Amino acid sequence: MAPIVTVSQLHKYFGRLHVLNDINLEIERGEVVCIIGRSGSGKSTLLRCINFLEEPSDGSIEVAGIQVRAHDHSKEGRQKIHDIRLRTGMVFQEFNLFPHMTVLQNIIEGPITVKGMERQHAIELAEMNLERVGMLFKKDEYPNRLSGGQKQRVAIARALAMEPQVMLFDEPTSALDPELIGEVLNVMKRVAMDGMTMLVVTHEMGFARDVADRIVVMAEGNIIEIGTPEQIFTNPKNERTRALLDRYRAAEAPSSTNALAE
Amino acid sequence: MCLHVSVSWEKVMNDTADTKQNTPSVSLGEALYAAEQRRERVFRIHVGVSWLVMFALLMFLFSGQTLTLGSLEFNTIRLDFDFIQRNLAFVAGGMGQTILISVLSILLATLLALVAALGRLSRFPPFYAISTFYVSLIRGTPLYLQIFFFFLALPQLGIILPGFIAGVVALGLNYGAYMSEIFRAGIGSVGKGQREAALALGMTPVQVMRRIVIPQALRFAIPPMGNEFIAMTKDSALVSATGFVHELMWRATKVGRANFKNLEALIMAAVFYWLMTMILSYIQGKIEARMAKGDR
Repeated sequence: MAPIVTVSQLHKYFGRLHVLNDINLEIERGEVVCIIGRSGSGKSTLLRCINFLEEPSDGSIEVAGIQVRAHDHSKEGRQKIHDIRLRTGMVFQEFNLFPHMTVLQNIIEGPITVKGMERQHAIELAEMNLERVGMLFKKDEYPNRLSGGQKQRVAIARALAMEPQVMLFDEPTSALDPELIGEVLNVMKRVAMDGMTMLVVTHEMGFARDVADRIVVMAEGNIIEIGTPEQIFTNPKNERTRALLDRYRAAEAPSSTNALAE
Repeated sequence: MCLHVSVSWEKVMNDTADTKQNTPSVSLGEALYAAEQRRERVFRIHVGVSWLVMFALLMFLFSGQTLTLGSLEFNTIRLDFDFIQRNLAFVAGGMGQTILISVLSILLATLLALVAALGRLSRFPPFYAISTFYVSLIRGTPLYLQIFFFFLALPQLGIILPGFIAGVVALGLNYGAYMSEIFRAGIGSVGKGQREAALALGMTPVQVMRRIVIPQALRFAIPPMGNEFIAMTKDSALVSATGFVHELMWRATKVGRANFKNLEALIMAAVFYWLMTMILSYIQGKIEARMAKGDR
């Protein structure tokens, strides 16, 4: 079967800064792929190019058979970008829940406004997805009454309610207090186990090792290594991958020695 | 008056003493919290009392009494209360027009401000240009001139507007230009992440504006819009210059000039304007408190 996401010869410039340099990547249906790398390595930009929150400077993106080339501003091109966004769900580092809407309203907004779904049907769908992330009990609260972890779980439910074929996670736990990270990672694990295709930019090495099918390592706008967690964590080929993992190990060392090395 | 003040002082002091004695067993946190509440209450009471004192002094200033302190004599201002009584209803009757002008003008201004703010954020050159041109022109000329322009200058071009319409158009256009900045700030206050989240859900740019950005921008804009409305009730007095709108200021100057009682007439108008703004400020405070609930 054809890959569900294909990134071909992708380049991205911010002004004169070359942040993505000839990226090629294929994601299979049902795969969980974690993207790791230092900050500034271009991993978030790559993720954001897939649903065109960032406009690629060159190359093409294909999601679920819909291919869009960079700089396609035709009516057809814009329609394709819209179709890709309908097929991808996105979870942001800063949650980005709509503060003027309750939890339930946040989730039915997409299905009703974008898909024209009937309200009652949208509510049923929303409640099902809230149940899935364990947040149904807060459905009538406003986001400002929730903890960071709860907000992120609602944000995941909001994306899932659009019934996407691919979920994009942009550092979903980086803005959370350490004690709240676990609940979000657990929800993400469950979504992965349900067979969702996931692309996750993360600094959580434990999650990457346990859940990912493949790990993509990025540095300075390039993919420097792709492999299974086992390959990457036990036998990294690239010197910079080794250095990156050493940094993570050093950061984790005081609390859990050798948590990453096996 | 003086007696009243000292009584409330003692009451406050007693209250404070009582609470201190009767609460020996509560935790430190609760005691500190209670003390904080008490300080806040006492502060508010003192402010209220000070207001009353100042108000009483102002009343005394216009009471017409003569105050004798030893060998010194202070004469206070003697108002013609008979005149006031005769014309009170007539002047007060102008408040209806004042409020009507203000409400119609603020509606027009809100509409113009929203369009101008969207124009200012637009990347479509003519729309952007029209918006900035409008704001620059209106902010660059006096409101007084604008009112006269619509009332006195347009007839020369064959466009004759009644004073009331000319006033509403001028006030609406003028406030629209200033309020567009409020809306622009409101739209700017909605984070980039909100737009991105909506786009990622598949919303079109128009849907993002309508469903996500504008509702949040309005929330941000409502308190300053309240201020603008309060300012407008007072600026509506300028419309009296046309001589054909029988609002508060026009009525006050009419009876004042006719009877050479401008002092009494203007004081009456001032009291009514003050009353209206106090009521409006109170309502604004309530709305603001309510808006604060659902926010971030």
